[in-house]
Amino acid sequence: MTSKFTTVLCAVALTLATAVKAQNTAPTSSGELRVSTRSKKARELLDRSWVLAIDQVEQQKAVMTLRGAVKADPRFALAHEILAQTSLDSAERVREQAHAFRTRRYASPGEQKLIEWLQNAADHKLIPAITDMNEVVRQYPHDRWVIYLANNWLIAQTQYERAAAVYENSGITDYPGLMNNMAYNYAYMRQFDKAFAQMDKYVASLPKEPNPQDSYAEILRMAGRFDDALVHYRAALDVDPEFYPSRFGIADTYSLMGDQARARQEYAAAFQKFRLPDLHEIQWKTREAITYVRDGHTQRANLAFQAIADYAHVKNISQAEADAYRQMALYQRTPQQAMMFLTAAETALNENGNVSANDFQQVLASILRVRVEAQLRAADFGAAESTLRRLEKLSNSADDPVIENAFNGAAGAFSFAKGDYKNAVAHLEEDSHDPRSLKLLSEAYKRNHEQTEAHRVSEIVLNLNDPTIEQAITVPEFRNCFEHSPCHANVKHAAFQK
Amino acid sequence: MRICRALMPVLAVLLLPALLYAKQFAVVIDTSNQSKDLTASDLVKLFTLKTHVWPDGKAVTVVMRDPSAPEMQLVLHRALNMSTEQVQAFIQAHRGSFVIVDSDDLVLRLVVSTHGAVGIIDLYSLTKDVNVLKIDGKLPVEPGYLLRGN
Repeated sequence: MTSKFTTVLCAVALTLATAVKAQNTAPTSSGELRVSTRSKKARELLDRSWVLAIDQVEQQKAVMTLRGAVKADPRFALAHEILAQTSLDSAERVREQAHAFRTRRYASPGEQKLIEWLQNAADHKLIPAITDMNEVVRQYPHDRWVIYLANNWLIAQTQYERAAAVYENSGITDYPGLMNNMAYNYAYMRQFDKAFAQMDKYVASLPKEPNPQDSYAEILRMAGRFDDALVHYRAALDVDPEFYPSRFGIADTYSLMGDQARARQEYAAAFQKFRLPDLHEIQWKTREAITYVRDGHTQRANLAFQAIADYAHVKNISQAEADAYRQMALYQRTPQQAMMFLTAAETALNENGNVSANDFQQVLASILRVRVEAQLRAADFGAAESTLRRLEKLSNSADDPVIENAFNGAAGAFSFAKGDYKNAVAHLEEDSHDPRSLKLLSEAYKRNHEQTEAHRVSEIVLNLNDPTIEQAITVPEFRNCFEHSPCHANVKHAAFQK
Repeated sequence: MRICRALMPVLAVLLLPALLYAKQFAVVIDTSNQSKDLTASDLVKLFTLKTHVWPDGKAVTVVMRDPSAPEMQLVLHRALNMSTEQVQAFIQAHRGSFVIVDSDDLVLRLVVSTHGAVGIIDLYSLTKDVNVLKIDGKLPVEPGYLLRGN
């Protein structure tokens, strides 16, 4: 009797377990991914992380929430994957990607395919990553996580058109975070009408959150609509006076408008009001220092950047210290002064062993790139070639797009200086994040008699509004040439959206 | 703000979007086709119908998006060395061998279902249902690949 009862009980349990398993792994009929966890808490935390990370862009809080989800269910492969994609810490990203891949056997087939796609992407296996992504998107066209991850990955790959197509084909129209993401995507394509339409929806869907207004402001600023950007930054602060990115966004905007005195007032007021995490302190102190570069006050800029380097040194943030010196090298009047700061940058980077190998190589590559440029300015082609070979070796061994960009920027500058414009174009086209490379690319096209391309790239440089040092040392001078000086025809005929 | 991949202000320029964005096109065939690699001149011969059949004897059918679409200019310029008008006239004159469709999805569907079909799609539309041909020994992700540009 007992034995028979036990058998029946086991059979019922087995049936129930099978049913639960089936429920957890079968694709849903709604085109949404089945999420595999038996922990209700972990599931709730994953849902919460969507709101925090995607809708509100509270990335730090989302990371904490996701850490809670994987703690509640260490076998929750999808949560490991989302944490890998959300974390700001490169070591955690690598670690969580490995966890996701290892625990994927507990996940549904759709989740497994999603994790394999992102593992292939992490391993730089691009073709399998693309086919896996398209398979997941085809099977789960209406799943918010799938569409978000596909969009984010495609944007990172600079495949903006494909990212837009994936979103538009999904039929999803009611997730605020996806509206935000797509607005940026359209802005990167310079389709600002579509970007603003998404922003209107994003603002309307989360009227009590500051980030929609902050995003709207940033995109208006990208489009050169500075006054409108200020209105939206202020609207974000009306919603939440403690939302400091918008307070600093106002200062950044005045700087881009050319009003450096007002920008510095705004930075000072913001620093007085808010106590920032170290890295954000460095970020906006850097923007404040850039106002002196824009004003042409090299000595004041040096003092401001030196203060940042000293702060980073005290805080033991070696890569930030090194980068402060690298940025100082960018605006120096003589290549000898630039070389002095580049030596300081390499010394700072090597001083402490507290930088991850990946971060170390990326910062080193960026320093070497500026060193090549300084050596070219000094007409020391032998030294420039030697530094370029060092950078090439780093690029070949690292398989890292950031380092490849630095190499291509430097190799393009080197080829240009040697008069090899065809080779310069080939390299500079591969470093299209950087206005310095685009400015040179425009000239290289012109010298290759590719006027249409030269015109197109000139227009991009003229209309670039981003508060980085690279923009500050490139774009205002380019615009000045456009407006006042006798300069190249390709620049003269480009359209500047004033 | 949108979600970012690194908090470090270091290398802030890298957080900028690409100001030019690269396009890579894949030349795709159905999975029963044993071809693996083409030279650039083989590719031109295929798309100009100087090559009518594959080595296994199947007739070549070319499937592509509207050659006047902006994104196809790179293909016309790099692979065919023809203007849009020249390509359109050529297609008109050889209607039976060309299929022009509106989307990469349709290119893929037709290549999958048509023995001997060869199509050109955006690399990021690629699925496992088709095979990708190398051109001059290179896949679309490799430096120096023919159908890659901004």
